[in-house]
Amino acid sequence: MSAAYPVDEVLDPVAIVTWSIDTGLFDIAYSAWGWPIAEIVHFSGVCLLFGAVGMFDLRMMGRLKGLSLPAMHRFIPFGVFGFLLCAASGTIFVSSSPDQYLYNPAFQLKMALIALAGINMLAFYLTTWKQVRGAIPHQPFPARVRIFAMVSLFSWLGVIAAGRVITAFRPPAWFWCAWCS
Amino acid sequence: MMDVLAWLEQTRLSVFVREDFYAYFVLLIFHAWGMAFLVGGGIVVNLRVLGIAKGAELDKFRMIFPWMKFGAVLAIISGIGLLFGYPAKALTNWVFALKFIYLIAAALLLQHVARVSFGKKMEPVGMVKLQALASLLLWIAGVAAGKMLLYTNSILMTTELDF
Repeated sequence: MSAAYPVDEVLDPVAIVTWSIDTGLFDIAYSAWGWPIAEIVHFSGVCLLFGAVGMFDLRMMGRLKGLSLPAMHRFIPFGVFGFLLCAASGTIFVSSSPDQYLYNPAFQLKMALIALAGINMLAFYLTTWKQVRGAIPHQPFPARVRIFAMVSLFSWLGVIAAGRVITAFRPPAWFWCAWCS
Repeated sequence: MMDVLAWLEQTRLSVFVREDFYAYFVLLIFHAWGMAFLVGGGIVVNLRVLGIAKGAELDKFRMIFPWMKFGAVLAIISGIGLLFGYPAKALTNWVFALKFIYLIAAALLLQHVARVSFGKKMEPVGMVKLQALASLLLWIAGVAAGKMLLYTNSILMTTELDF
């Protein structure tokens, strides 16, 4: 018998929402002010992340000349903290209504762009950070520094844009599931 | 007041923002980008005044202001578009006024902090740091008020009212 709907053998929304109920995240999400407060935390985290990482990227792109890049790197832990705020509040959203996110093309794009930003960051730290961490304020950077910075800045802008349109899609479960059989 | 809002709702721009398939979400995207530049930049400058990244010359943080202004322009233009879509929703909600009070206060306080502490030999201390902290919290409060708009409106359109 062929199933009426595609079957998701990779992700299990029921298991996710059960976990959400067991951990209490579901109750937080659907308490009176839980969702709005999580949204406030989420966008505050985005601002912290984008402020710290975005300004660092702009500096690497040759803007904000005169600001010491190694000194600007001191802001990065605040960006990481912003990302953690987003991850925590994001977990509340996704786990409490997984079907609205997992099968949502905007959410899928958002996750792909976060992965891109993460891989780009990893590649930057592994290949290039050592060469620029000692840079003096007015020293020009190697060309690839600019590329890393642009990929980072534009993937975070893409993350914000994709995140903003998640609510444009109200996916029925059989939609937008490329990995379902 | 309601007459004006009812008239605004029937303008072509208002109908377009509500009914076009893309308009509302495109405006939301630009609004979020603008706020990320404005508030993100504001947070970073305030953190510097509070003593983070002392190795970066304080006076040079002026260069972040044009990026914040760029964000503000994006947010204001897209915000006006969003406001046109549902004028009664925002303009009958006191949280909307609160959002502007917070954001304008954050910007004015940051401007004041920059005026008294940028380009000086000494690192900022005491009162100035306190003002920077207040400015930082006001940026976040502005974000919070903005997010609350979706949950605190009493009406969406004037057509819900009898008058």
